[in-house]
Amino acid sequence: MLEARALRKAFGRTTALDGVSAEIGEGEIIAITGPSGSGKSTLLHCLAGIIRPEAGEVRLDGRRVDTLDEDDRTRLRRENFGIVFQFGQLVPELSAVENVALPLLFNRHGRRESLRTARSWLERLDTADCADHLPGELSGGQLQRVAVARALAVGPRVVFADEPTGALDSLAGEQVMDTLVGTARESRTTLVIVTHDNRVAAYADREIVLRDGTVAGASTVGTSTAGAPAAGAPAAGGEATT
Amino acid sequence: MITVIRMPVRGRSAPERARARLMSVGAALATFLLCAAVTLVSFRIDTPDDRLWMFTEREPRLVVALTLALLVVPAAVFTYQASRLATATRERRLAALRLAGATPYETRLIGAYEAGRQALLGGSLGGVAHLAVNVVLWWSLDGVVPLLSPVWTLAALAAVVLAEVWSGLAAGRHVVASPLGLVRRARLRGPRAVDLLLVALGVALLAAGLIGKGRFPVLGKYGAALSMTAGMVLLLFGLVLAATWLIRAVARRAGRVTAAPETLLAARIVQADPRAWARALTVVGLTVFFGSGIGAQQGNVLLRTGLQPPYLTAYLLIDLALLLALVTSAAALVVHQAEELLDHRRSFAALAASGVPATALGRVLTRQALIAASPVCVVAAVAGAGLVILTGADAPGWSPGAFAFTAVRAAVMAGIGVLAAVLVARASRRILREALRPEELRTG
Amino acid sequence: MYSLGEYIECIVAIMSTRHVLLGLLAERPKHGYELKKEHDHHLPGARPLAYGQVYATLQRLERDGFAEVAETAQGGGPERTVYAITDRGGAELARWLEEVEESAPYVVSPLFSRVVVAAVTGGAADGYLLRQRAAHLARMRELTAERRSGSPARALAADYALQHLDADLRWIETAMERLADLRGEIDA
Ligand SMILES: Nc1ncnc2c1ncn2[C@@H]1O[C@H](COP(=O)(O)OP(=O)(O)OP(=O)(O)O)[C@@H](O)[C@H]1O
Ligand SMILES: [Mg+2]
Repeated sequence: MLEARALRKAFGRTTALDGVSAEIGEGEIIAITGPSGSGKSTLLHCLAGIIRPEAGEVRLDGRRVDTLDEDDRTRLRRENFGIVFQFGQLVPELSAVENVALPLLFNRHGRRESLRTARSWLERLDTADCADHLPGELSGGQLQRVAVARALAVGPRVVFADEPTGALDSLAGEQVMDTLVGTARESRTTLVIVTHDNRVAAYADREIVLRDGTVAGASTVGTSTAGAPAAGAPAAGGEATT
Repeated sequence: MITVIRMPVRGRSAPERARARLMSVGAALATFLLCAAVTLVSFRIDTPDDRLWMFTEREPRLVVALTLALLVVPAAVFTYQASRLATATRERRLAALRLAGATPYETRLIGAYEAGRQALLGGSLGGVAHLAVNVVLWWSLDGVVPLLSPVWTLAALAAVVLAEVWSGLAAGRHVVASPLGLVRRARLRGPRAVDLLLVALGVALLAAGLIGKGRFPVLGKYGAALSMTAGMVLLLFGLVLAATWLIRAVARRAGRVTAAPETLLAARIVQADPRAWARALTVVGLTVFFGSGIGAQQGNVLLRTGLQPPYLTAYLLIDLALLLALVTSAAALVVHQAEELLDHRRSFAALAASGVPATALGRVLTRQALIAASPVCVVAAVAGAGLVILTGADAPGWSPGAFAFTAVRAAVMAGIGVLAAVLVARASRRILREALRPEELRTG
Repeated sequence: MYSLGEYIECIVAIMSTRHVLLGLLAERPKHGYELKKEHDHHLPGARPLAYGQVYATLQRLERDGFAEVAETAQGGGPERTVYAITDRGGAELARWLEEVEESAPYVVSPLFSRVVVAAVTGGAADGYLLRQRAAHLARMRELTAERRSGSPARALAADYALQHLDADLRWIETAMERLADLRGEIDA
């Protein structure tokens, strides 16, 4: 469904992505991991059509994404994608429920309907009592759950999350991941999570390991037979799927 | 200690240096305008001169007074605005310093040092520029324009630097209160009762000047004019600041009913910090106030005496001065919107990433301007026209036509004020594009 | 490879059945069968306690004065004997709970040896580490799923295993980077 082939992206003299390929199926939950600076965020931004790679292609349902102009990519993102970042994505002046309603309003649902939908999402993510608070009055875990609600409220086909638990402790992170993954599975939403936390990566069906801008390896469900070599291609730059 | 104070000045980024330069420009303009105002005051009144009849003849006395005020007030406002230019970034930097262990006293000194330094640099330039212009005018107009003593220039410079140092000290106040408060700022300052006190004081001074007219206790009729001018300035400041209440009410109402996300965002952002908008709109309000006041005066005079060329020239000149003030106010607004975008760059970049078009976010800027500027401009226009009608009520010849002219002119001035704010907001979309770059999303 | 059961065995070994049973008795007097059931419930995934082991332990507790027979139901076998904790037993339990576990230097695992040997012999280490990572992560996925569906006790056990696997994984990652650095130095 979402497919990247031989992506290259450089910032000045640093090559952030150097021939990365990946294929993501409908309803799949994918973790992109790797050491700091390995190009995880850059890959996510390319997949989500936020930035354009210099070479290679990104396809959604077989349709090229990277060749679209800014307006078309913006529309594509609005109609298909939801995004969660590590922090700071909520508008500080809007209450939690208004923040969640915002993308719905931008999609021209009515005010009352948007706010109602937003509230029900907050309830679903166990943050109903935060609804009328400003982001500055919420804890990190509550903020992230509100952000997850905002990403999911528009019913996206793919949710991208860049270090969604990066600013949280274990338990708060677990709650956020539980709700994110749980709702994604229920609604068969594809989920792409960038993380360097293995316990977050363990929520995914499959992992893409980046190192120095190339795919270093991958792993899938059911490869853990003790002692036996697991699937995954150690060869640098190769596409590794199992 | 000195090193600690100077360190943050050296460690500035390119945009911060640009803002510092803007501060210097503000100080330069303020000094220049202050010197010009002093020069104007030292014109010998009642000395007949063809070319400068406006400043010396008895008839357009009120107009002269207004022009004087018009020159002094933007200078003062600009000084204040200029010192607030870098507040957003500076506060953030100072907060970081506080967390790094600087004492509250030290951080306040740092703010004052930065502001004072920039003021001294720019102010000196402004003073020199004024001296140059002054010498040229004095020489070319055979001494009708008096040569201002450099002592006055130094005094003006000192005033500007002191004002900037003071506002530099004041700007560090939040930081001093709570180094962490900036990171999680949930509560912002709303309207204050002091604003209404300003209004009362202004009305009192104005009334004193009016009632006193020719027989004012101090300085005779000049004293009365001075009292009226000061009263007007205070009244205006008070009104614009009191407009904070109105801005917030309008924003709250807009935010409560709208189905447009742009309006919702704009209304809530304005509602969260109406004071900042009121402050940024001071000069716009001022321009509308004078424009509408002068309009009332024009309506009265023109309909009474017909179109006489000397009046027309005078009015044209004054409208030009108003235009100048409007441009100044535009600068203040641009700065305000830039600061605000700085605060919102992460959340806006996240919205853009999730598919909100940049044009929609641009509309947020223009709607903010609309929500905030409308009440201020309406209040200023009504106040300006009302003041002239009230003070001139005893004068003969207020025909219905004059009233109609006044009303139309006031409406036009309010419209121009709002339009200026909206145009500035549209111009800020360039800064918005900068704020929406994907780099803002990187978590590293 | 570690299974959840193996991890629990480690925990149980550390905790010692004696003290677990004392802890369960602290709630109220119980008979042997009840104790066995509660033990298995609170420590899911651990090897179920054999009746024989329960009675042997209870008798040892009685001998040491930590527990006593509270009542014997008529006509019942040894299963119907109800045991209660004594004051000494309570004190012993408190002492044990106060005790700080020795921080073991977990360097004896085969994982560690294998990585070190692979690194020393060079070459294959990287590929091996990646495969080991994949295996660990797969196990972590199972544990994560288990934690989401299981009881609180099961979640605790899964957490314990997850965090240890995570520690291993992080060490593997550091090892991979260190090896890359080392190789860079040798090549240079
Ligand atoms: N806008 C940019 N300008 C310059 N260099 C950039 C930019 N964006 C990314 N890079 C560089 O590209 C490389 C990959 O960056 P990226 O943010 O994708 O890494 P990452 O894997 O997400 O790291 P982290 O885990 O620290 O977030 C880094 O070396 C980074 O310095
Ligand atoms: Mg990143």
